[in-house]
Amino acid sequence: MASATSSPRRPSASAQSESSQSDRRTVSATQSRNPVSQRLSKVLGTNFDNEDTRQALRTLSDLYAIPRGKEVHIVVDDGDDELGQESFETPLPAPTIVLVESVPGESAARARKNLRRDMETQLAEGSRKFLQALGEVDAKLCELQINVAAMRSSCDEAETQLALTNESSKLLLERAGSLRDERQEVEDKKSIISLFLARFTLSEAEIDALTSREVPIGQRFFQAMDKTERIREDCRVLMAGEDGSTRAGLEIMASTSSHLEQGYEKILRYCSTEFRNLGRDSQLEVSPGIKEAILRLRKRPELLTEALTILSETRQATLLSSFIAALTRGGPSGYPRPIELHAHDPLRYVGDMLAWVHQAIAAEREFLESIFSLKSDGRMVGSVRNAPQSEEEDWMRELMDLAVGKLCVPLKLRVQQTVRSQESSIVSYKIANLLQFYLMTMRRTIGEQALLSSTLKEITDIAYRVFYDSIETQSLALARSRFDHDDPSLTPPHVILDHAQILREVMQVYQSSLLGDEDEDEINAGINQVLDIMIDPVVQMCITNSEEKAKLRPRWDGQVFILNCLCYLQGVLAAFDFTTQKQKDLQTILNKRAKVLTDEHRDSILRDAGLWEITEAIVHHAGEEPLSRIPAAQPADLQRSLKNFSAWLSGLEVVQSPRLSQLIIQKMHTRIHQDALARLAQTYRRICEEVKNPANRYEAAATLLGSERPFGQVHLLWQIFGLEEREREEESESEDDESDGDDSDGSGSGKEGSEE
Amino acid sequence: MPSNYYDSDATELVETYDFLMKYIVIGEAGTGKSCLLHHFTHNSFKDHSQHTIGVEFSSRTVRLGEKRIKLQLWDTAGQERFRSVTRSYYRGAAGAILVYDITNRESFINLSRWLADARTLASPNLVVVLVGNKSDREDDREVEWAEASRWAAENDVHFLEASSLTGENVEAPFLMAARAILLAIESGTLDPEKAGSGVSYGDRALRRVNSSSRLSFGSLSGSARRKGGAVKLKVKNWIPGSKCC
Repeated sequence: MASATSSPRRPSASAQSESSQSDRRTVSATQSRNPVSQRLSKVLGTNFDNEDTRQALRTLSDLYAIPRGKEVHIVVDDGDDELGQESFETPLPAPTIVLVESVPGESAARARKNLRRDMETQLAEGSRKFLQALGEVDAKLCELQINVAAMRSSCDEAETQLALTNESSKLLLERAGSLRDERQEVEDKKSIISLFLARFTLSEAEIDALTSREVPIGQRFFQAMDKTERIREDCRVLMAGEDGSTRAGLEIMASTSSHLEQGYEKILRYCSTEFRNLGRDSQLEVSPGIKEAILRLRKRPELLTEALTILSETRQATLLSSFIAALTRGGPSGYPRPIELHAHDPLRYVGDMLAWVHQAIAAEREFLESIFSLKSDGRMVGSVRNAPQSEEEDWMRELMDLAVGKLCVPLKLRVQQTVRSQESSIVSYKIANLLQFYLMTMRRTIGEQALLSSTLKEITDIAYRVFYDSIETQSLALARSRFDHDDPSLTPPHVILDHAQILREVMQVYQSSLLGDEDEDEINAGINQVLDIMIDPVVQMCITNSEEKAKLRPRWDGQVFILNCLCYLQGVLAAFDFTTQKQKDLQTILNKRAKVLTDEHRDSILRDAGLWEITEAIVHHAGEEPLSRIPAAQPADLQRSLKNFSAWLSGLEVVQSPRLSQLIIQKMHTRIHQDALARLAQTYRRICEEVKNPANRYEAAATLLGSERPFGQVHLLWQIFGLEEREREEESESEDDESDGDDSDGSGSGKEGSEE
Repeated sequence: MPSNYYDSDATELVETYDFLMKYIVIGEAGTGKSCLLHHFTHNSFKDHSQHTIGVEFSSRTVRLGEKRIKLQLWDTAGQERFRSVTRSYYRGAAGAILVYDITNRESFINLSRWLADARTLASPNLVVVLVGNKSDREDDREVEWAEASRWAAENDVHFLEASSLTGENVEAPFLMAARAILLAIESGTLDPEKAGSGVSYGDRALRRVNSSSRLSFGSLSGSARRKGGAVKLKVKNWIPGSKCC
C-alpha cells in the first residue's frame, strides 16, 4: 500500500484537516508507545486527500456498491478496509454483488474475503482485454510494417531513380550554366557592339538627313554632320592606338567620309540655291541656316569657294542691275529721281554715282559680315581698318571687290564722259578732287588692290589729266596773247585778272579738298603742279610782253607794270598757305624786278636832285688828278649841284615819287622809294667825304658843303628822309648783290624790306 | 509725347529684323552729329571727336514695340566743303536726323537751308527729326526750347533736345523717326517694297507674314502677302525632290 505508507509523512503538510485532527494528536502523543495506538494513529493519520488514493477508493467503491442508508457507518468504521479493497477491486465490475447485498456490511465482508481473488479475476480480465486489444494492435502494426517496408522499397527505388536523374541532370545543368554564361557574354558583346555602333555609325535617320534631298538643311542635318565629324575624330583616336588601323576603323572612316562628303555636297547645293535666290533679292538678310552652312563649309575650302563664287556672281549681277536702275529709273514713282537726270550737273552726277557705290559697299559689307557670322566691330566705314588679317577678312575683301567690280565699267564710262566734256577747268578740278576723295575712301574701305580702287585711280588720273590739260591750254593761250599796246594803264590787264581768278578758284577747291591730316609736303605736292602750270608762263609772258611793249611805247612804264602784275599774282597766292614755295619763287623774280626799278629810280632821283653829274664824276674818278679838277666836280659846279639838291629836298618827291605811285602795292612804292632815298643819302655822304678829302683839293670844303642844306651833315639828311641811318653804300650794295645771288635769301630780305 | 517713352528698352542688338531703314544725320559742323551717333551705336560719349570727313557709316538694330528695325546710319560731315559729297547721300533716305547745337545760334539759324536741302534731295516722304544737341550745357544756351519747338512745328518736323555727353534722349530721335516711318507705311504713303524708299522688309517680317501671324499694319499685310508667297516658293525650292538640292 504505497498510499498508506506515504501518508504518515504527510500530516504536517495537510493544512486542511489540521483543526479536526489536532485532538487525536494530543491523544496519540500521550499513548505513543502503544503499538495499537501507533497503528491506529497511523491509520487515522492516513491522508486520503491524495488524488491517487481517492481514485483507488472510488474504484473500490464502484466494485463493491453500498446501499445509501448505511454509508455513514461504513465511512467511520471501515475506513481502513475500504482502502485495501478499493485499490484492487476498482477495475472489477460487480453490480450483481452490490445489488445482492441485503445485509449491511455483507459486501464488505465478502470483499475482505475475496478481495484478492476478485482482484486477480479483475486483473486477468483486464489483462485479457489488454492482450486482445494489443493483439489487434500487433496485427495492425504488422500490417503497417509491411506497408512501411513496401514504402521503403519504393522510396529506395525512387531515390535510386532520383540519383540517376540527378546524375543525368547535372550534365544538363552544367550545359545550361555554360550556355547562360555564353548568353551573358553574347549580350555583353551585343550591348558593346550596339554602343559601338551607336557611337561609330550613323543612324538611318542621320544618314538620311545627310544624304537625302528630301530632308531640308536644318537642325537635324547639322546634328548629323556634327556626329559624323565626331565619329571620325573618335575613330582616328582609336586607330592611333597600338593596334594600328583596324578593318572596322577603316570601314567606319570610309563610310563616314562618304557620308560627310555627301553632307558637304548637300550644304553646297543648299548654299548655291540660297545664294542664287538671296542674291536676287535687294534686301540683304541672312538666315541662321546659311550662316551655319558657311561655317561648316569652311572645312571644305574648295566647296566654299564654289559657293562663294555663285554668291559673288549673283551679287555682281544684282548690284549691276540695281546700279543701272538707280541711274536710269530712280526710286518708286520717280523718287529719288534717277541719277542720270542730273547728268547736266557734273559734280552732282559723279557724286551721286560714287555715293551710291559707297552705300552699296556698306550694305554689302554688312551682308558679308552676317554671312561669315562676324560681329560688326562698330567701325565707321571710311575710317581706317585695323582689323587683324583673318581668313574671313580676306574672303570678304575679295567678295566685295568682285561684287562692286562689275560696277566699274558703267561707272568709268559715265565719269569719263562727264570729265571729258567739261569746259570749265574749275569743274574739272572739282570732279578730280571728288574722285580723289572717293578713291581714298574706297581704298580704306575695300583695299588698294580692289578693282574699284584701281578703276577709281584710273578715272581720277584721267580727271586730273583733263584738268591739267585744260589749265595748260589756258596758260599757253595766255602766254601767246599780246598786250594792247595802246593801253596806257599800268594795272594788270584783264587776261591776267581772269587767269588769276581761275587760279584762285582752283586753289579754293584744293583747299577745301584737304582732309586736314596731310603733312606740309603732301599739301604742297598736291598743288605745285597747278601753280607751275598757271604761274610760270604768265610771269614769263608778262615780262617779255611788257619789255616788248616798253620798247615800242617808251613812255609806258614797263617796270612798274611788271611789278604790278607780279605783286597781284603774289597777292593771289598769299591768301593760301600751301603756296609758300611758289610765293618764294615769285618773290625772287619780284625782288629782281624791284631791284631794277630801284636802280632806275635812284638814278632818276639823283638826276632830279641834281647830284647826278657829281656822282658820276666821283664814281668814275680815278688816277692822281684831284676831284676838284674834274669838270663836273669843280667847286662851282658842285655849288650848283648842291643848290639844286637843297631845292629838291624841299620838293614833294622826297615823300613820294609820282612814278612809283603807279605801283598798286603801296608797300612796294615805299620800299623802293626808301631804298632809293637811302642810296641818295649814301651818295651824299660819299660826296661829303670826297669833298672833305684833302687829296681832292677843295678849298673851304666845309663852307662849300655847309652853304646849302643839309649842310654836309649826313645824319640830318637821314632825318629829312625819315629813315634810319644806314651803312655805307658799298656795303649795302654788296648786301644787295648777295641777296640777288641767293634766291631763298632774296625773298626774305625782300619781305623785310616791304615790312619796313 | 514724353521722350521717356523711347528711352525704355530700346537697346537690343539682334540679328534679324522686320524693317531696314536708311537715315542720314545732318546739320552744321560741330553740332555733335557724330557724337550723337556714336552714343547711339556705342552707348558711350565720343571724346576728342574730329570733324567728320565726307560720310561715315554705322548701323544698329533697335526694337520698337514688337518690331525690330535695322537702322543704316549715314553720318555726314557738316563742313561746307563736304557739301558736294554729302548731298549725294540724301538720296533714298527714309529718315533724317537734323542736328543743331543749342549753345550755337548760328547752327539753328541755318536749319532752314539744311531742311530745304534734305527735302529736295531725299525722298518726298522723308521723316525729319530736329535734335537740339548739347542739352547738358544749359548755361551756354543760345536757342530756347520754345523757339526751336515753334520752328519745328512750322516746318512740320519732330523735335526734341538731347545730350550726346550724358546720353539723354540719344535714342529717342532715331526711334521717333522709325515710328513715324512705320506709321507712314501703315497709312500706305510709304511702300517698303519699292527700291529707293529707304525702307525695306527684313527677313523677320517676311517670315512672320509667311507664318501668317498678325502684323499690326493693315496695308502691310496686303502688300506683303505677295512677298510672303514668294518666300514660300523659295522654301519649296529646297524642300522635297526639287532640282536644287
